[in-house]
Amino acid sequence: MQNKDNSRFEIDYISTSGVFKTPFTLVIILQLFFGYFILLSLNIWFYNDLYFLLTGKGFLPYVLVGEWWEWLLLPMNIYGNILLFAFSIILFSAGIFKILNKLCPPKEGIFLRGSKEWKYTHRRFWTVYFPIWLARALPLPWSDIVVYRLLGVRIGRNVVAYEGYIDPQLVEIGDFTMTSLHICIFSHLIYQDKIVIKKVKIGKTCIVGPQTIISPGTILEDGAILGANSYTWLDQHLEGNLIHVGTPVNMSFPIQSVEESVQKAERIKGEKKDIDKEGNKKYIKGGKEG
Amino acid sequence: MFQPASLKGDSPSPIDEGIRNKYLFLYLIIVFLSFYPCIIFEYVYFILLWKKGFYLIFFLLVPLNILILLHVLQLSAVLFSFLFLTIIKLLFLPKEGVFDRDLKDKNYFFWNLRNIAKKWPLFINGSNPFPWLKNRFILRFFGVKIGKYGIIDNSWISSEFVSIGKNVILGMGSTLLSFGIEQDKFFLKRIIIEDNALIGAKCIIMPGTHMERNSKLSAHSYTKIDDVLIENSINIGHPAKMKNNRE
Repeated sequence: MQNKDNSRFEIDYISTSGVFKTPFTLVIILQLFFGYFILLSLNIWFYNDLYFLLTGKGFLPYVLVGEWWEWLLLPMNIYGNILLFAFSIILFSAGIFKILNKLCPPKEGIFLRGSKEWKYTHRRFWTVYFPIWLARALPLPWSDIVVYRLLGVRIGRNVVAYEGYIDPQLVEIGDFTMTSLHICIFSHLIYQDKIVIKKVKIGKTCIVGPQTIISPGTILEDGAILGANSYTWLDQHLEGNLIHVGTPVNMSFPIQSVEESVQKAERIKGEKKDIDKEGNKKYIKGGKEG
Repeated sequence: MFQPASLKGDSPSPIDEGIRNKYLFLYLIIVFLSFYPCIIFEYVYFILLWKKGFYLIFFLLVPLNILILLHVLQLSAVLFSFLFLTIIKLLFLPKEGVFDRDLKDKNYFFWNLRNIAKKWPLFINGSNPFPWLKNRFILRFFGVKIGKYGIIDNSWISSEFVSIGKNVILGMGSTLLSFGIEQDKFFLKRIIIEDNALIGAKCIIMPGTHMERNSKLSAHSYTKIDDVLIENSINIGHPAKMKNNRE
């Protein structure tokens, strides 16, 4: 099953990453209150200053008067408040996340249910749950990348990360990579009553196809492409500048330019006229070797 | 976890186009009625705190108010749709089997009506950002049995003819379908998942599947219709086959 040193281990099946409900879930209420208080205090300060500037009087009463400048500033107020609320919660929970990381840094290995690492991964995940939901509900396309960067996930520049399940710890994504829709990047798996944690590394200029699952311990070298609807097993090593397909990944093909593939198709067509079917098959299989 | 805002875990409930516009009023009535408890709650909150001059407490408790408001909306939506569902079930009792996919067939027609009645609470359940009172709580009202101590919030679960045991873990983005439409046939079959079963990420469980105790389904695989996964077995593939443990 597994070695004593926990460096390499084999499992029978790929399960899923998931988190049980613990009392630490209540951290969401704390985040909600924190975001709201920042919102409230900034609004009171902002409106009172404006009130003083425009009328020369002192503190604004709680009931808003509904003057012309309040209506004029309404759109700015709404959008500003949404962004303020979201980003104050994001920064606050990034702070909690860093404190939890100091108390118990994320480690690779197999941990039993109820151990210290198990508890702290649950705590980390629950702190991140609400801010990531908020960031993805915002109308800004890059906001969830910003959140992941703040949490300590190494995401390079010019990364396209569409919506998908990405674990917030022990994941590394290089420059110019693209991850498609509906993907799962797992850095931990549930296995029987244990939890398996391993680092995931995705290199530069990679493409991760839609509907794929990347299991813990997978390494994608620079320029590797993971085809649509395939998944990787634990500790798989995908070579660079090749297309990888399979469930789990077991085939790899060279990347062709458009001209090359057109030439190849024409060549096969030409041979199909005078040569039997075996020659045709040879060309299709030829991709596997080179 | 970290569910994208577009991938809500609301259970699949498609509605036939011939019936969609005709019975829209049923859906709108449920939406309309479900807001009344929220209005009463807000009215009480306002009267208690604002009118009596407790401005500071009013402002301090606003986030708690929003949190409670969302759950009140969810509860009332479930209760009103439950009311309409019981009426629909009294008119025609749902049963398993293979039927014609035609609105003249009563089984198919009333299945669509039930879906219309369920649509609104399932939508609210899917877009709720808080992890409390999610799938496990909502689907119980529609007749789905779900046991304790599991992870079931990140998957699409059909809202009838499903029973799930204790300690079951459902993977992210996996789907449990208890209905199927094929050409001009429509079928409803019960899915049974017993205690301690595990389903990996992105799995699809087809109607009529029976997962016995401790059975496991590896990620990214699907089962056949009327499939039985044996006790303590590990299943992988498209469609899933039992894996030999000792090679």
